[in-house]
Amino acid sequence: MAALPPDSFHPDKTSDRAMTRRTFLRSTAALSGLTALAASLSPLRELGDFTSTEEFLQKYYKELNPDEMAKVLKRIERDVERQYGIRPHVRDLKPMDGVEFVYCLNLTRCIGCRKCVHACVAENNLSRSPEIQYIRVLKLPHGSLDVEKADHNYTTKQVPEKGFFYMPVQCQQCKNPPCVKVCPVNATWQESDGITVIDYDWCIGCRYCEAACPYWARRFNFAKPEVPKERVNPNMSYLGNRPRKQGVMEKCHFCIQRTRAGRYPACLEVCPVGARKFGNILDPESEVSYILREKRVFIQLKEEMGTSPRFFYYFEK
Amino acid sequence: MILATRNYLRFLWRCGRIAFVGDWRYYAWMAVLTAITLLGLNAYCKQLVHGLIVTGMSDEVSWGVYIANFTFLVGVAAAAVMMVIPVYIYKKEELHDLVIFGELLAVAAIIMCLAFVTVDLGRPDRFWHLIPGLGEMNFPASMLSWDVIVLNGYLLLNVHICGYLLYCRYQGWKPAKWFYIPFVFIAIVWAISIHTVTAFLYVGLGGRPFWNSAIVGPRFLASAFTAGPALIILALQIVRRVTAVPAGAGTTSSNGNLSPRMAVRRDATLKDMEMLAQHLPELASVPIVDRLSSLPGATVSEVDQGDVLLQQGTTDNDAFFVLSGRVVVKREEGGRVRITRTVGAGEQFGEISALTGTPRVATAIAQEPTRVLRMPADALRMLMRNPRMNDIIRSRMTERLMITDRGLLILRGIVQVSMLINVFLLLNEVFKEFYSGNLHVASSHYLFLGLHGYDGLVPWIWTAVAFNLTAMVLLVLPVSRSLRWLNVACVLSIVGIWIEKGMGLVIPGFIPTPLGAIVEYSPSLNETLICFGIWAFGLLCYTVFLRMAVPILQGRLTKANEDHPEFAESDTLLTTPAPRPPLAAVR
Amino acid sequence: MDSDIQPPTRAGRIQTNWILAAVSATFLVMAGLFVANLWGRTAATPKVPLVDVQFLDPAPWRQTYTDLAKAKEDLSDFDCYGCHEKKKPPVIEYDEKHNIVLPKEHSNLKLGHGSHNRNNVCYNCHNEQNLVTFQARDGRELKFQDSTALCGSCHGPTYRDWEAGVHGRTSGYWDRSRGELQRLNCANCHDPHSPRIPTRAPAPPPRGLHEPATGPTPTAH
Repeated sequence: MAALPPDSFHPDKTSDRAMTRRTFLRSTAALSGLTALAASLSPLRELGDFTSTEEFLQKYYKELNPDEMAKVLKRIERDVERQYGIRPHVRDLKPMDGVEFVYCLNLTRCIGCRKCVHACVAENNLSRSPEIQYIRVLKLPHGSLDVEKADHNYTTKQVPEKGFFYMPVQCQQCKNPPCVKVCPVNATWQESDGITVIDYDWCIGCRYCEAACPYWARRFNFAKPEVPKERVNPNMSYLGNRPRKQGVMEKCHFCIQRTRAGRYPACLEVCPVGARKFGNILDPESEVSYILREKRVFIQLKEEMGTSPRFFYYFEK
Repeated sequence: MILATRNYLRFLWRCGRIAFVGDWRYYAWMAVLTAITLLGLNAYCKQLVHGLIVTGMSDEVSWGVYIANFTFLVGVAAAAVMMVIPVYIYKKEELHDLVIFGELLAVAAIIMCLAFVTVDLGRPDRFWHLIPGLGEMNFPASMLSWDVIVLNGYLLLNVHICGYLLYCRYQGWKPAKWFYIPFVFIAIVWAISIHTVTAFLYVGLGGRPFWNSAIVGPRFLASAFTAGPALIILALQIVRRVTAVPAGAGTTSSNGNLSPRMAVRRDATLKDMEMLAQHLPELASVPIVDRLSSLPGATVSEVDQGDVLLQQGTTDNDAFFVLSGRVVVKREEGGRVRITRTVGAGEQFGEISALTGTPRVATAIAQEPTRVLRMPADALRMLMRNPRMNDIIRSRMTERLMITDRGLLILRGIVQVSMLINVFLLLNEVFKEFYSGNLHVASSHYLFLGLHGYDGLVPWIWTAVAFNLTAMVLLVLPVSRSLRWLNVACVLSIVGIWIEKGMGLVIPGFIPTPLGAIVEYSPSLNETLICFGIWAFGLLCYTVFLRMAVPILQGRLTKANEDHPEFAESDTLLTTPAPRPPLAAVR
Repeated sequence: MDSDIQPPTRAGRIQTNWILAAVSATFLVMAGLFVANLWGRTAATPKVPLVDVQFLDPAPWRQTYTDLAKAKEDLSDFDCYGCHEKKKPPVIEYDEKHNIVLPKEHSNLKLGHGSHNRNNVCYNCHNEQNLVTFQARDGRELKFQDSTALCGSCHGPTYRDWEAGVHGRTSGYWDRSRGELQRLNCANCHDPHSPRIPTRAPAPPPRGLHEPATGPTPTAH
């Protein structure tokens, strides 16, 4: 039970040397750890134009005053020109008073040719690789609206096929949109003309809206979108078809760059059978008012969800 | 104020320092975790550059293992704090020390949760859009904004509670009840809220019938209260193991000198009481009359370094106060010895057996020449009639690192009941889905039986079901009163619930899509590396937290030995008590 | 002296040193591997071939007499009396199943207007007295330019829809105050002799994010 001498903690010189060696080894381990840490970050060299300071600090859409908005639009034009070599015309079109958009689609007419899908891709500068499409055409057997019976990837030589009908689905521009409700940062909202829009510069890419949408209408930029230069549509709008960035959501916006300028959406104009109808439901003379007044059967997809879509499917006979 | 800040920074500095020293096992363990964390970080950098296309996710299955792990870990975090209930509401003292470990686990789990959410973001650079005031928060409409608030709030609550209790222990202060008890109760309610809110993330989505079911919330809680305490049972045993050395191994007499040469032993006097009062100000409030009447039978001993003052397992009824010097209290359990605390001047030991008449739970050995006041149980009770004395003694009764089998078995009770409820709720869900057999059964059909030839999740869910049922049977049977079988049951339930909540809940919600397409999901290599990286980082955090908390709880990292950091930081800290500080050598 | 308060054993120290050395080595190797970027690289995003521009073309697939006239194109097909004699209505020949037997000059026509041969009389629409005009059911004589009115004389409800812009294709401006609504005529889409819209090849199907660049596109169940 002999007590150790007071300096027992450093009993001899050997121990001192051992401690030095230990300190050295510890520092080596720490240093090599830091080296590995630095090396592990090496992929970031390719980060490129992930975000610019200007873009990083950009304010929320609804808080931008007209001057700031003008600057933002200039910045976007610059970015697009740098990337695609085309000077675009980027506008921030506001909703019109007394206008509420409604889309009607005639299921009797649709032949499932998917022209709307690709016209939309072209009009809205959607990424070609990886492929992003706002419209999905479902091939359904006669007699059922059960989407689980749908074929999304039909590659038949000729459409329409006997015994089937075709139902294109895109953003339904709900009156009670679940996607808007769930967005944690208000990056998506419904405008007074009924279009649910996305501020691509505000979206954080959590994809909650994608999970919430009962129509599978939202798309995420899993990679940097790629649009061939020769197919860029230079008529752009902030909330519409301007090129998106990697990691943000997008979806059908009723071709806001066209419809807010009074024109028809691209999918409507390309439809070879005139199955698509679009207009202002507040105008009793509009096509859509006529359809909802005159046609016997029209349906809102998944009506039981209570989402109250502004997209109506109807039958001719 | 400046002094207080300096003291606090000093405390943080010492805690930080201690995280970097340890024995070879500690270095090896930390190095493995660091390596895996770096692999994950590297994988995340690749994801940041190339986008989430490097994961297995797609527009069809837009959430994957990140969110699955997030959901599981929110449950762990919630359950870790629920252990507080038995302690504070039912006064289960066995669990008292475990609460800190539970809360530290909660902190680590929340850190992992936040990491998993961050790696799931497409634009992590825009995180500031979520900060209220700076960005735009869609509160209260978005359940995700609720989740951001409750998770960060929960993190702060637990950091506050743990940090405060540990800092008090370090300083040798008695924690002010008003400064932490209210937060403990808030944390209990908050714990339920974080998991309920996380369940609501899914439940609120009308477009996803697989999730849109009121039972998901209760199922989440039940599975969390199974997996969380199960994880703690395992974690505590690991802590218990690495903070102890095998009894007798590598040392000649790890239990100290069994036949102490009592240098001096005499009857106690009022003067000794006054000496004690210098270190224990509460004693000053005890009237002289009461002090006098507690003297009969009390003795003062002066012992040498290494002398055993009381022996674990014996029954005698005396309590001890340290008048000067320092005493190490060790406990032997399962063939291993661990320091449960060290006791300095003014502090007591042996009082639990004295008050309850139970056998000694630990052995007390003088760490330096020490003078103790030895007092029969009746005398202690006399002193404790004074409310302030009662308070201080009772509060110190709980400040010790004890991981008893009884404590673990109380946790077993929680796991047992929760697992029964969990399996019951799962059966409810399965019945409702398959018996009604409407269109909405598609996801469940895909999960359990496969759909249209796609059956990627079928082996997963049946593994989970088998694990959960086996765990349930084991937990219900008395066989799981033995730790070995309890551990098997815990591992099975953790894995089972991880699958059930991850692959079994998040993924099938996306299959088929709302438009009826079936696209299967399996995590990519890069995605898996990120997940392992985050888990390793979480474990790294938890290890560091324990590395700091254990010596504080053991009383080895205190303000008192601020000038002798080696006392707390010896390489073999976790296995043997530190060498005697030179301070003590000066008599 | 209680031996477990001695400094760490020599064996323990050496073990720690070895571990620290191994840790350093491991980290340095990892650093090298990170820089070499050996795993987790994504293959370049599969290039999806660009869609054929014909699928993007909004132009109607038929041209009417009006379109041709406007474009000053060859209208010889509409010059009936280039071949036929005036005041001598051509006689319609039928086979035993009451199908019209077309002369070889008209073999490009596919007849299919109305099922069960209900509409197998050319002069239901063409004016037998003046082949370069139509005759409506009410006896009106209509020019080729007014074909839509001719269709409307039988297809009342459809004509009503068309007038409202609801049947058939439109393009241009929904907002009439900003621009013109361009409406097509029946014959822009329907072949008057066989009005059912012919089948056509659909545009390519969607391609999943992780689908391989080549190989067949899997069909859903």
